[in-house]
Amino acid sequence: MPRLRNLNMTLRYEDDLKLFKSRQSRLAMVALAVVAIALPLSITDDFWLSVLNYAGITAVGAIGLNLLTGYTGQVSLGHAFFLGVGAYSAVFFGGTHQWPLPLWLLACAVMGGLIGAVVGPFALRLRGNYLAVVSLGLVFLGIHVFTNWDSVTGGPGGTSVAAPLKLGPINFGKLEVGNYAYTRNQGFFLLVWAIVAISALFAKNIVRTRPGRAMQAVRDRDVAAEVIGVSLARYKVGAFVISSALAAVAGGLFGAYQQFVTPESWNLFLSIQYIAIIIVGGVGTIFGSILGAMFIGAAPQIVDKFSGSIPLVSRSPGGSGFHLTVFQLNQVIFGVLIVLFLVLEPRGLAAVWLRLKAYFRAWPFSY
Amino acid sequence: MKRNNRVRLLAVLGVLALVAAACGGTKKDSSSSTTTAKKTLSPGPGFDGTTIHVGVITPLTGPVAVIGNPLTSGTETWFKYINEEKGGIGGKYKVVVDKEDSQYKPDLGVQAYNKIKANEVVFAQLLGTPVTKAVLQQLRADQIVAAPASLDADWVRDKNLLPVGGPYEIQMINAADYLVNEGGFKGKTMCTMIQDDAYGQSGQRGVDFAAKDLGFTVKTTAKYAAGNPDFTAQIQQLKSSACEVVFLVGTPSDTAKLMGTAAQLQFVPQWVGQSPTWTGAFAKSPLAPYLQAHFMLAAEGTEWGDTSVKGMADMLDRIQKYTPSQQPDIYFVFGYYQARAVTALLEKAVELGDLSRAGVLAAVDKMQKTSFDGLTGDYEYGPPGTRNPPRQTTIYKVDPAKPGGLAKVKYEYTSASAKKYEFKSLP
Amino acid sequence: MTDFLQLSFAGLALGALYALVALGFVIIYKATGVINFAQGGLVLLGGYLTYNVHHTWGVPFYLSIPVAMILCGMVGAAVERVVLRRMVGQPVFAVIMVTIGLLFVIEQVVTGTWGFNRLNMGDPWGIKKFTVGDVQLSVVNLWTIMLAALVMAGFFLFFRYSRLGVAMRATAFDQEAAIANGISARRVFALSWAIAGAVATLAGVMLASGGSGLSPEIEFVALLAFPAIILGGLDSPAGAVLGGVIIGLTQTLTAGYQPRYADWLGNGFSSVMPYVVMIVILLIRPYGLFGTKEVRRV
Repeated sequence: MPRLRNLNMTLRYEDDLKLFKSRQSRLAMVALAVVAIALPLSITDDFWLSVLNYAGITAVGAIGLNLLTGYTGQVSLGHAFFLGVGAYSAVFFGGTHQWPLPLWLLACAVMGGLIGAVVGPFALRLRGNYLAVVSLGLVFLGIHVFTNWDSVTGGPGGTSVAAPLKLGPINFGKLEVGNYAYTRNQGFFLLVWAIVAISALFAKNIVRTRPGRAMQAVRDRDVAAEVIGVSLARYKVGAFVISSALAAVAGGLFGAYQQFVTPESWNLFLSIQYIAIIIVGGVGTIFGSILGAMFIGAAPQIVDKFSGSIPLVSRSPGGSGFHLTVFQLNQVIFGVLIVLFLVLEPRGLAAVWLRLKAYFRAWPFSY
Repeated sequence: MKRNNRVRLLAVLGVLALVAAACGGTKKDSSSSTTTAKKTLSPGPGFDGTTIHVGVITPLTGPVAVIGNPLTSGTETWFKYINEEKGGIGGKYKVVVDKEDSQYKPDLGVQAYNKIKANEVVFAQLLGTPVTKAVLQQLRADQIVAAPASLDADWVRDKNLLPVGGPYEIQMINAADYLVNEGGFKGKTMCTMIQDDAYGQSGQRGVDFAAKDLGFTVKTTAKYAAGNPDFTAQIQQLKSSACEVVFLVGTPSDTAKLMGTAAQLQFVPQWVGQSPTWTGAFAKSPLAPYLQAHFMLAAEGTEWGDTSVKGMADMLDRIQKYTPSQQPDIYFVFGYYQARAVTALLEKAVELGDLSRAGVLAAVDKMQKTSFDGLTGDYEYGPPGTRNPPRQTTIYKVDPAKPGGLAKVKYEYTSASAKKYEFKSLP
Repeated sequence: MTDFLQLSFAGLALGALYALVALGFVIIYKATGVINFAQGGLVLLGGYLTYNVHHTWGVPFYLSIPVAMILCGMVGAAVERVVLRRMVGQPVFAVIMVTIGLLFVIEQVVTGTWGFNRLNMGDPWGIKKFTVGDVQLSVVNLWTIMLAALVMAGFFLFFRYSRLGVAMRATAFDQEAAIANGISARRVFALSWAIAGAVATLAGVMLASGGSGLSPEIEFVALLAFPAIILGGLDSPAGAVLGGVIIGLTQTLTAGYQPRYADWLGNGFSSVMPYVVMIVILLIRPYGLFGTKEVRRV
């Protein structure tokens, strides 16, 4: 038995449920954590840090959506609304009342979860696309409330977010280690990606245990799940609560990072963007949510880096006839990339990752 | 053996991390270099000793690109002129414009800002109130100056922002004053129709101020969300209040729809639009006859092609030279004179001998009254607390025969009320 | 009373416009089971194609519409043939995402070709109107209502009496059975995209007519029309029209009366009201007004 363990074979069901299946994967996790800590402290380029920060924030929300949509099969276009709830919770608890970092983040999660619990029961009555579009209504209701509730949201003109970023002696907004000072972007990177890691572990722990199996049963055939004793009410609503709480945390981080939010930002496009992320990353995978967030966040920037060298594309508008500026071309390439990618790999980036892993595991006998 | 390996690996990684971390941080007490005015300009962010980089963050794709593109074109035309004919800032430093697309989204704006800020001396254009507000905190932290491309009153008192033109409030106050005192609308029923957001509120503030100062009341305020699909309800609301003057704060798409509805419902007040309600295409649309009879625009400067104003004549010459394909467009003019203000700031910084961020920020305080040769009112810059934006507004009517579709009725009208308006500082 | 009639007429016209957009969504959903997020892009493309045929090629306006409908229909079919054909049998999620990707491309192709500036459609309707009693009926709105009615009638006849229409229904009902009976599912898919493109053109033209002008913003109507589709049931053309009319009327009437009688609901409640109606209706009828009730088997 001990000898077999090194062959990367899963022999027992309990092994398959383990968080880290092998010593290597545990080691890889540690290495990843070290890199994650070292990376922002060695990159000083604010641009890539800000891209990665937004990507990390998005990843938290995407993990939430993937739990709801990917694992429980409840299509929600209302994710932007919960992000907004989180952002305004950060404004209210963090900004106005100056609660410390862990408390206002928790408050975001609680607010999101509570409102998720109110909306969740809708999912018991509605299915598929109908649920998707009712949750879409939520987005519009949200914008309406955010616009009119001036005292908290600052009205249509938006409000600044001055939530504290201090955790004990560590101030993520102005990190200092010994004799070295780090920028806000660097500090925020650590905060955001720590929360990504916590959310990912949390989500992974849900999906690999009993609730996760129940959720997937609901997704695959809810009537059958109910017949074998899975409480639909409990798991559908539960998925909504957790997903909304994670979305709200992401929204809170978004507000705290950007320091300014308007009601119009929590719109349908944002919801669609999140759907796009989990599809591109891989529906029903936690890791895919993170990959997807990085892809959607960083791909346009990478495209932008290289599209300038394409001949016959100008950086200025004007001229007659068909004429694409490099900025329009960026979006065309981005669109084509999504289309091509999903035509070639409909199961998303996570599937590519798994294939790569399988390839190298069997190397040199891979085919 | 295995254990040893792992420990060693971790140790190596740990050391690497620490080394890397040390590289990425900045020594805390390194910023205490003394900045004294020097004759030779030392290179800094965005300035390599010969060329000055200025950033532009603006929507270059998406629906708002209709504003972002001509505005940027105006900025570039101005700097081409400075580079070609003046030899650059201070006669020797050429200006390079770096453009980034924000798509009018605050988060993309912040990313774009972070992307290029290390390489820019100033931001010559930041389009959109939400984008500007999202970037503002970072501008303050980074000590960078930016020129916002909107006429919000909020910008006047901010040290990191370099506004141009009379704010929206001033446009509406002057328009109201003009109608009451010169247009023969004294005692008529006044109403407003505003987009329900911060931009709409700015116009409403102006009208409210004028109402108090001139002694009229605003009978009805109809509000609508940007992109509203149907305006029957709002027009009927105004119609049933028997409004004779309606101050309009909106954007062209909505203007087109609501004017069409007003014409069809035979609602014929005197409309007065704030500058962004207009686009040149209206003058050739089926709405033109209605607009000619009932619409006035309160905006900056003068009509396109009016060579009696020096700034306009010069601008047309330079368009001939540098961007001959440019169509008449009020946003082009805005970008053009905004670049003029940025040039004034850079000239000042060069004169003071410091193009570093702190140097440019200090130059903001030292700026004086800057003239735009009649393209917009002269702006009295200086320390933000004492800045005085132009108080004049030009009143236009619609005239399809003119190149931009507008003919001036009253050039640079300055009301007593507008002079009284006070600007508050942004928190 | 005049107010009420006027608002109702406006609501009806708005509803007809939504219906024209919704019908495009519905036909694709019915045939292929995909929510087509690129429909707004087709509306945009259709509007600009009509402009191009009319202004650049100098074709008379009334003739330019059918020409543009054919062109846009061909684009739709081509998109299906080149891109979506490859996605048959793949997860619906992936297909939806592909339509989002397509939207990115269409938007940029349109603005790259025709620019960002507002263009005047050059329609003969302008701001002309009829006056009936105290109510003003604008010509554009009358045309919109008429066209929506015509398209719906056309759909009805097509699905009922034409071979292709019946084939489409059969394919929608049970793809495998349809194929087994000799129906070409490929032709059905391509045709549904072609029809969606053609109908989208009508929506684009009507949106840009009557002085409103053509601008890249018109694609957003697709989002506004969303509740109409859901309300009527994703797979029912008649439902799409009825859904559109209900949403249109709700919006204009709410905009007319809410500020007067229920101001506490806040500014701009009319943009939310359709969703409130929608949520209530869906809670009572979870498959929309006309949607087919799904039979769930274990």
